[in-house]
Order: sequence, then structure tokens, then C-alpha cells
Amino acid sequence: MENSAKKIEIEICLGTTCFVMGASKLQELETLIPPKYRSLVEVKANTCMDLCKNATYMKAPFVKIDGELITEANVEKVLNVLERKING
Amino acid sequence: MVDESFFIDIDCVQEKKHGQNTFGDCFMSKRYPDEGRVIAVLSDGLGSGIKANILANMTATMILRFIAAGHDLTKATEIIMETLPICQVRKISYSTFSVIDCDDSGLVKIVEEGNPDFVHMRNGEVVEHEPEIRTSKKFTNRRMHLYKFKLEPEDRLIFCSDGVTQSGLGTEQYHLGWRREGLIDFLRDELKTDKTVSSRHLARLIVKEAQLKEPGRLAKDDISAAVLYFRKPRKLLVFTGPPYHAERDEEYAAIFNDFPGKKAICGGTTANLLARCLNKTITTERPRPGALPACSHMEGVDLVTEGILTLTKTLEYLNEGGRIPDDPAGKLMELLLDSDCIDFMVGTRLNEAHYDPLLPVQLEIRKNVVKQLEKILSERYIKKVHLQFI
Ligand code: FES
Repeated sequence: MENSAKKIEIEICLGTTCFVMGASKLQELETLIPPKYRSLVEVKANTCMDLCKNATYMKAPFVKIDGELITEANVEKVLNVLERKING
Repeated sequence: MVDESFFIDIDCVQEKKHGQNTFGDCFMSKRYPDEGRVIAVLSDGLGSGIKANILANMTATMILRFIAAGHDLTKATEIIMETLPICQVRKISYSTFSVIDCDDSGLVKIVEEGNPDFVHMRNGEVVEHEPEIRTSKKFTNRRMHLYKFKLEPEDRLIFCSDGVTQSGLGTEQYHLGWRREGLIDFLRDELKTDKTVSSRHLARLIVKEAQLKEPGRLAKDDISAAVLYFRKPRKLLVFTGPPYHAERDEEYAAIFNDFPGKKAICGGTTANLLARCLNKTITTERPRPGALPACSHMEGVDLVTEGILTLTKTLEYLNEGGRIPDDPAGKLMELLLDSDCIDFMVGTRLNEAHYDPLLPVQLEIRKNVVKQLEKILSERYIKKVHLQFI
């Protein structure tokens, strides 16, 4: 596994729409990341990604991992993408 | 100091006697905005628990009613003094009281019967006043102390029940209790550390300190402290929701930016919009489990929270009126309660894309919650509140 200096950035939208649609459960994401990956990741919040107002994406809640958008995000989806990013 | 309008910041904090589930002291206040006048009563009912509570409440209510009916303060309190019954068992009055009548110009009248003497603090020092004494015609042990004087800007008046001055009574360190002298020393120190501390906060500090004096921190009497602070109004602007006309975003952002006072933003979209217009960055706190989204930060803004969930929760907390919880809604509550004049700028934009089923609902909730906030803040928390739908 390559240990790059730059951390993988997970951005969770905690705007009203996303929060109500399920992001409230993603707030504890950090504690659910497998311990071996934790140091590689940085979890951040976003006040609103402005996607909730965009008809192309009807699927809140939104999470971005290094810019890659995950729609209808849940813990499992996020961890899958993370796994893929880390292990290539 | 001409042309400066001043504000009477008055608040009270209470602690129940240990083991009782209701307050034996009662604090009530009424603001008469047209006359720029505030009247407040702190009454201490004999004993503790529900009986004391009723006595104290009755006394305070009656005094406020008499005055509201146009009776002069001295007359009103004299009637109370002459009519308050005596406890048959203990041969002492059913309740004691302090009444404060203060107007925007700083003219204050105080009547005290049985409560510890108030403390007048100016520039960190005590100002003592000679009372005019009226003895009851019927009860020789009842005596009213009458005061009339003028407050200067930044002056404070501190009233308390004997639960404060007698806290710690009988303990090794405070044989005779904390006493008025102890309270004064404490006030000197506190006001040195924080010259502009709000009434609510100072009252809370006093009550906490009094409780500390008690063995095991268990209050053996009801403890109440009321503070009046005569000062320039503290202003707060709460911006929530994007403005109806997107082309006016910049204009409102500028108003927000130039506002002379504290500022809060409630709403993610609103925060983004203001950050964009004002060329500022938003930093968010780390997500952590909780019923509300975490706060974020923007330079020059005192609080940035999510919108309607937080506002709704804040309204709930204000309704409960208890301790301030440590979450974003609690932070907003704190900010609201620490302000005298509160402006809400409520954006009414219905969104560009209509797909989000939550949006129209959100707009209605937002308007509604803000209106309810206005009501409770002005009626119960005696704030000056102004709503502006933009
Ligand atoms: S609330 Fe998540 S994109 Fe707006």
C-alpha cells in the first residue's frame, strides 16, 4: 500500500437537506473507518454542496471523496469507495 | 451621552433549595416599551417548596398588578406590606420583596422589605444609598426601605434573596454566611475580570458561587440573584435563508457585513452565499455524532449554524427555559439571550430548481419558526426583536 503524504479527503454535506436525508448518520463516520485506514483519511463537513438545488442530482445525502461524488451516501457506500481509493 | 439610547438589561437566575422541586423565590418583570420603563419584583416566600412558591408568586404578581393599574410604587408596596399575613407558627411575614422601577433615562426607584439590601456597583466600586424608611402601621417589625436615584451608564444593581447572603452559614469558613460583604468582594473581582458581563451571566455566577459555599453544594435555602445593568444595547443580526431576489444578494451581504453588533448565520446555503459575496471562507468543524449538524466558522461572524433544524431546536430550548445545552442550538440561544436588540433578516427565496420536495416546506417552517422566536424573545425574554423578510 502506497502511503502518500496527502490524506484522502472525505467531505460530508451536513446541510439541512442532506442531514434530514441521512447525513446525520454519517457524522460518526470517522469512528467507523477501519483503524488501519484512519491515519490516511481526513473527514470534513460541508455546509451545503449546493447539489440539493440541482435537478441532475436528486439524491441526497452527498459525500465527496477526493472530489468523487457519492449520491445517496451511507456508511457502507462511503467505506467501499474509500477501500477502492486506498487499495487502487 | 445625549441622544444615546440606553438599555436596561435585567435578568434573574435561581436555584432551588436542595430536595425541593419548586422555587420558593419568585422573580417577575415587566417591560413597558412605550414608557421605556421596566418593573421587576424579587420576592422570597417563607420557607421553601410549593407553599413558599405560592406566597412569593402571589406577592410579586400583586405588586406588578397594582403598578400596572396605575398605582404609585410606594403606595402599591405599602398596601402589600400592610396586608401580607403573618405565619401563625413562626410569627414572621409570609414573604419579603424587592421592587425595582427603572426607566431608560436611568431614573430608578427601589422598595425593599425584608430582603438583603441591594448592591449598587459603579466603575467596579460600591455606591451606598441612605434609604427613606417607612414602618408599617400594623406590624412594627415590617419596614420598607425606599430609594430613588439616578443610574449612570454602565451602572449595575444586584438584588438577591437571603439564600445568597446566608449561603455557607454555620460552616467552618463562613460562620455567618457569605454575607453582603462577601458578595460585594465577589462582584468587585468579577467586574474587574469582565467589565461588560451580561446580567444573566453575572446572576448565574453569583448563584453558582453561593452554592459553592454550601456543604456538598447543596443549597439549604432557595438562592436567587437578579441583576440590572444599565448599558448601551447589544445588537445581534441573524441572517437566515437566501434573499428572494438573487440579484440583491450583494446588497444584503453588505448590510450584514456592516452591521454594528454581533452576527449569526443560520443556514448552509445562506452561509455559502454570504461567503461568496464577502469573499470569505467557511471552515467547518469535524463532524461528530449529534442531533444537529455541527457549527462552522467564518471570519467576522460570531456563529454559523445549519438553518431550520437548529432554529427549531433553539425555539424548543427557549420554550423550556432551562440550562443551555452544549450544541449549536444552545450556542444560538446563548447569543440571543446575551443580546438586547435582535434583528432577523429572513430570506424568502423559493428555489431555482423545484425538484427538492423539502424546499417549499423549509421556507414555511423558517418563516414560522422565526415568528415564534420573535414572540418568545420579546414576550418572555423581554428583548427588542425586529423581523425583516427579504
Ligand atoms: S444540503 Fe447537501 S447539498 Fe445542499
